[in-house]
Amino acid sequence: MNTIQEQPSAIRSYYEALAKGKLLAVTCKACGKHTFPPTGCCEHCGSWDVEEADLSGEATLLFATHNLTPACHPRFESMAPYVYGHLKLKEGPIFQAIILGIEPKPAALRELFERGPVPAKAETLQTDDLPVLAFRIAG
Amino acid sequence: MRNQLKERVAIAGVGCSRFGDLLRTPELKGLTIQELTAHAVREALDDAGLTGQDVDAVFAGNAMVHSSQVPATYSQLSKWTGTQFKAGVHFEAQCSTTNVGAIMAAMAIAAGVYDTVLVYGLETTRTKVKGYSPYEREPISHQQTWLWTDMAVNQAYAVPQGYDIFSTYNGLVAQGYCRKYGISIEDFDRGMYELCRARRLHGSMNPKANTQETLEDRAKRKGYTDPYEYWQSDDNPFVAWPSRLLSLVTTADGASAMVLTRADLAKGAKSQPVEIKGFGVSYSDLPWYGEDPTFWESDKRAVDAAFDMAGIKAADIDYLHTHDCSHISSICTAETIGYLEPGRGLHAAREGRLRFDGDRPMSTHGGRHAFGHAWGASAGSDTYEAVLQMRGQAGARQIPKVPEISVIHTHGYAMIGAVLVLGSM
Repeated sequence: MNTIQEQPSAIRSYYEALAKGKLLAVTCKACGKHTFPPTGCCEHCGSWDVEEADLSGEATLLFATHNLTPACHPRFESMAPYVYGHLKLKEGPIFQAIILGIEPKPAALRELFERGPVPAKAETLQTDDLPVLAFRIAG
Repeated sequence: MRNQLKERVAIAGVGCSRFGDLLRTPELKGLTIQELTAHAVREALDDAGLTGQDVDAVFAGNAMVHSSQVPATYSQLSKWTGTQFKAGVHFEAQCSTTNVGAIMAAMAIAAGVYDTVLVYGLETTRTKVKGYSPYEREPISHQQTWLWTDMAVNQAYAVPQGYDIFSTYNGLVAQGYCRKYGISIEDFDRGMYELCRARRLHGSMNPKANTQETLEDRAKRKGYTDPYEYWQSDDNPFVAWPSRLLSLVTTADGASAMVLTRADLAKGAKSQPVEIKGFGVSYSDLPWYGEDPTFWESDKRAVDAAFDMAGIKAADIDYLHTHDCSHISSICTAETIGYLEPGRGLHAAREGRLRFDGDRPMSTHGGRHAFGHAWGASAGSDTYEAVLQMRGQAGARQIPKVPEISVIHTHGYAMIGAVLVLGSM
């Protein structure tokens, strides 16, 4: 029987939460800012005094572009080409992720670019081996 | 941080292989990685008038060990470079490797530890070891190259979640640039065409470049009489809208080398030395930029540190290379540095100002697209070009007014901004 207790891991916790549709970050007790996705240290001031926090999953999509096939990573081979975007989360962090709700084609991307920033909402995709955080364009 | 060199340091010799493919490029076909590296090292040592036994230490750079399979590079290459029994280390700063090596060497020399240091970088991004053969190689697939390369990118949360270099480095930056400065997509496309035309012109004038075919000749070969029609065609597709295929990096196998020494020792040496007047380094994890994709904090910090150490300002720069794995990113960096006016970089490209014979020459070796990109060797190829230009030895692509101050900026995945300021002695 294995009696060695597994140590906590921010990465494992993040993906286990993501599988349930939750976005984990950490908040710094020293400067109050978020580090997202979470590490064991504040990315802004370097303090180790951080605590887990949930984010809302609400965001503004600032820019969205696409890629070609084959995907750079085998996990995304069946999904490519896909849209990839630059987002500002409601709580402040800047983040990049796969974008849903738009075709990965120049005409659609141009139309979106000309509309300007649009609201988007987090959504979990389940691949063969890992939950993936994507954002769907609202409306 | 005092940000000073306590002793003057110079580059006494430079070397660089042709960049290309070890399976099919003339001058490279059939070489092993040991011989490829030795060619560059020999050129640098010969240029300095030294042998491998004359240096005190060797800093050996290689980023993608998966394809080269020469970790402990210092010892594995020692008998190929004549450097047995020297002090040495294998290091990497990805695509900034060789220039970060030069910076480490400058610090070691200025600290009074070593007098002379050999820095070299080698990389194979087109070919890899075939099976267990000591000398046969085979091509690497596009996906395999990026899977290995992206091991330098956030492996906790970015790569496993669909990170894509072409989107992050090209399409998103391009859109940020157009929106910030009110540039139409049509004007952007034309500017990117002209930028590619300049870089490929430079490559066509450089016998060591991977791609030595002008954009016009390529268009003709593809059956187009109007090169801009070719640029806008499906033969040059959007890879990350609005960035097209020919605005991107070209992978390559290659090696580069340089010899650094005390400035007083370099005077009267075999070749004209060039002084390392300053440097700056700053790194960042993703995201590399905030709401504004055209401004990268790590670049700004590296540039400010380098300019402070060198005592220069943007107006002093005669020749600039900015990392141009992504052509639009290279323009943003040049604007951050102050070499180009914010929002006017593509306009400058359209006016021919970024060519070797323009008033804002950039990437005269052809840059990452035409000269090619061999990750850990490329920064050394940029320094090699700057030294040739500053000696007046750049041949057909020589900048008419020989540069006295050159600045070389590189992005080492993912992402380390490294800036070198070189000055004539």
